[in-house]
Parts: sequence; C-alpha cells; structure tokens
Amino acid sequence: MDWKDFLRRIFLIDLINGLRLTFSYQRPDAIYTEQYPLERPPVAERYRGAPRLNNHPESGETLCIACNLCSIACPENLIVVGWARTEDRKKRLTTFTYDLSRCMFCGLCEDACPVDALELTQDFEIANYTREGMIWDRQALEEGPKPARYTR
Amino acid sequence: MLQSTVKFLSANPLLLALIKILIIFAVVSGIVAYLVYMERKVLAFMQARLGPMRVGPWGLLQPVADGIKLLLKEDIIPAGADEWLFLLAPAISIFACFTVFAVIPFAGNFYVSDINIGLLFILAVSSLGIYGIILGGWSSNSHYPLLGALRSSAQLVSYEVAAGMALVGVLLFSNSLSMVDIVKRQLSMGVWNVFLQPVAFLIYVIAAVAETNRNPFDLPEAESELTAGYHTEYSGFRFALYFMAEYTNMVVVSCIAVTLFLGGWLRPFANYARLDFLKFTPILATLGAGGFVLWLWLKSSVKLDRYFFIALTACFVVLAILLVYPPVLNALQGIFWFSAKVLAFLYAFIWYRATFPRYRYDQLMNIGWRWMIPLALANLIVTAVLRYFWLSHHAATAVAWLGR
Repeated sequence: MDWKDFLRRIFLIDLINGLRLTFSYQRPDAIYTEQYPLERPPVAERYRGAPRLNNHPESGETLCIACNLCSIACPENLIVVGWARTEDRKKRLTTFTYDLSRCMFCGLCEDACPVDALELTQDFEIANYTREGMIWDRQALEEGPKPARYTR
Repeated sequence: MLQSTVKFLSANPLLLALIKILIIFAVVSGIVAYLVYMERKVLAFMQARLGPMRVGPWGLLQPVADGIKLLLKEDIIPAGADEWLFLLAPAISIFACFTVFAVIPFAGNFYVSDINIGLLFILAVSSLGIYGIILGGWSSNSHYPLLGALRSSAQLVSYEVAAGMALVGVLLFSNSLSMVDIVKRQLSMGVWNVFLQPVAFLIYVIAAVAETNRNPFDLPEAESELTAGYHTEYSGFRFALYFMAEYTNMVVVSCIAVTLFLGGWLRPFANYARLDFLKFTPILATLGAGGFVLWLWLKSSVKLDRYFFIALTACFVVLAILLVYPPVLNALQGIFWFSAKVLAFLYAFIWYRATFPRYRYDQLMNIGWRWMIPLALANLIVTAVLRYFWLSHHAATAVAWLGR
C-alpha cells in the first residue's frame, strides 16, 4: 500500500465521497417515482392498447362498414362482426365483439380496417374482474375504455 | 395561578419529576414513531424514490397506521420457546433505553435528575439493554434469532470498550461524570469537546453506529443472512417494542454524543456576546419550516392535503410570532439547540444507512479490535499526558520532564 492509498483510508475519503453522492440525490428533480393513479405515465406514440370503434365525429354514426376484414385479419379469430342488410342491400353493422382476453395486440385488425374505424388506443388499463368482462361488445368499444379516476 | 402552581411543584419535587418523566416519555415516543417515518423518507429521497405517500398528506400518518397494525396483529409465542423469557425480553430492551433519558439534560433547566455519576449510569443502564437482545434471541428456540443475538452481544462488547475509552477522554476535560456539569464545563472552557477530542468523537460515532446495530454494522439483523436476527420469532406488539427500543437507542446515543461532544443545549459560540444574534435562529428555523410546508402546499394537488399544509404553515407562523416574545425565546433556546443537534445526528445515522454496504463479520471484528480500541487507547494516553501538563500550568514542567 503506497502512502496515497494509506492517507485515503485514514481520512475515509472513499466513504466521504459516497456520502456526498447519496446526499446529492435529495433533489426534488431526482425523484423517479410515479404516483400512478394520481399521475399517468405517457406511453409510446405507437403503443397498442385497448381497442376502440370510432364514430363519425359530427354525425355520431359508426364508421364501421361491416366489411369483416378485421375479423379475417385477426390471427386469434377473436373479432366477431355481425351485420344485417338494409332494404337497399347495404351492409349495416349490428354487433361487434372483441375478446380482449385472447388479444395479443398485434394490430393487424387495425391495419386491415379500410375506414379507420377500429383502432388500438393508448389506454392500458383493461383489467377486469371476470373473464366475461374481457369480451367487449359494440357499446363498450364505441365508448372506449373508461379508466377510473382516483381522487382524495 | 401560575405562581401558585410553580410554588406547589417546587414543594413537591417528586411530582415535578413525575410530570417531567411523562412529558419526556410522551415526546420521545412520538419522536421515535416519526423517526421511522423520517428514516423511510430520507432513505427514499437518497434512492430517488418518494417513500410513504398514501397514508395522510405526504404519508404523515404512516407511523399511526403502522402502530395500529402492530397492535392488532396476532401475538405468536413459538412452540418450545421459553415463555417467560420470551415475554420479558422486549420489555428489558425498551426499559433500558428509556431509563437513560432520566439523566440527559435537554436544556439548562430541563432534566429529570442530575446525578453526579450520570455518564456511568447511562453506560450501565444502556448495557443492560443487551440482555433484552440476548434473552430474546435465546428464548425463541430458533436458529436465526440465536445467531443474531450472539453476533449482537459480541459486537456490543467489542465496541463498548472503544466507546467507553473515547468517553474517558472527554471526562479528563470535564472533571465530572454529571451530564449537566459536562455541558457547563464546555461553556466555561469556551469550546466544545469535539474540538478538543476530535479522534474520540470519531471513535464514539462509529462505535455508536455499531452499538445501535445500524448500517453498516447491522449484522445482528442482516436480512439476507439471518432473516430478522434476534426478533425473527417476534410479532405484533412485542416486535413493536423491539423496534421502538432500537430507534430509541438511536436517539439515546445521539443525545449522549450531543451532550458530551457538541455542547448539549449550548448554542454555537455561546460565550461570544458579539454573536448573540444567533439566538434568533429558532425564529428563522420555524419560518424556514413554514416556508417548506408552503412549498409542499404549492406542489400538492390533493384537496385535503392542501388544507393540511396551509394549516401547518399557519401553525409555524404562529409559533414564529410567539418566539419573537423574548421570554418564550429564552425558554425554548436550549431545547431548540439540543434537538437541532440531535436531529442532525439522527439524520447522519440514516445517511450512513443509505450509503454504506454492510461489513462482513470478520471485518467488523477487525475494525473493532485492531483499529478502534488501539486508537481509543492512544487517544486516551495522549489526552491524559497533555491534560496533565495543561493542568499544572507550566510548560516548563513539560520541558523539564522531557529533559530528565
């Protein structure tokens, strides 16, 4: 041990350096914690979360043309599109079920949709108490996810 | 009314002592509860976390919640345990550390008793506390507690020697074992003992960390090795007693260090009249605390928390206004400086915990026996020699003695 090392040990230099480092972390801007239910983390721009069936922003009518392409594109076969013909032989959407419990959020349905009706949103709170609750019907899909807001 | 009360109390010193004991017990228990909170908060900040936030504003009610939880938990006595000792052990621990407060002077006029063997009494009683740990570990009839208790006693014995010898260095200057006299002596010498005995101070601080089983010397309860050490088998309120004893020990050790080395209730530079403006520090500190709470109020978005913070700010402002009134300021002067120093000490304890990794057992013994004790001995001898010549007031004596 040379004398420099010796002095370092005698005057506890390394320990003091350590103390300085931990002390310096006590800044409000160093805090990494997220107060989750109170503040939500921003997710990535291309994050694929809970699905939504978009309505026309003005008329409020569904954008879905019941073409069934999403159902065909889905590798898990979890989308069931129900339709009926109108008098002028046009397809009208009647029911739409989306089984979130089987979904792997690959986004192929979203890509297949020709009218941008089906969309995987950035919302990530899709937990449910029952298996049945994970199967979203047309109403749930159109309303979109409703994450609980916690207040005190 | 006030005068008749004072008269009555001075006629019944026993009653006065009883009231003081009640006050000290209540305040220390509260401080210990919030020391746990402070530890969790400071540790969290040093690790870039927030710490408890959910129970009450900024988690301020966390100690209350913890206490209720521990009280309501099942009190388990393991099969094969020595029941009497098992029940007795935590009580010994807590009794030993609370007894020490009897002789600690919190201010020039606020202490339960000033006995002339104060420091000896402290050393004797706080050493009794180890029985709580040993008996608890042994009576649990379990491996980990026994190992923890053995480690703890070995550690305490090793470091008590060094700490004791460091304290003797102070006694050489104060000529008294009475805690009040030790502080008064620092006033008359015009310098705190820490400047006369820096080595002893360092030794005492290290030994104090070891004696309270804190990081980096927390081998008796090293989670990764011994689950929880000597209190592994304890649950419910008995565990709470052990927990409280541990944190009270931290306060005790800090109080002793402050009294012996840092001038107790004295303000910095107590004999320099030119620095008398320092006596307004309590007002500034109160306002500072108020400002900090106001900042929390600005940052908080929760409605209930905001009410609480603004009320707390108001309390601090009222306290500051009260402190402007000279009698109040003078009465709280000693308590303020004492608690400020103790708080700094407690903060340092937490700071060490956040910084240093745990020592290995052989390293611990190495530091204790091969570094601390020789250093304390050398410090004691050097101090004694210097003190001898200083007392005789003749440098010439020293020269003559050396030339002999």
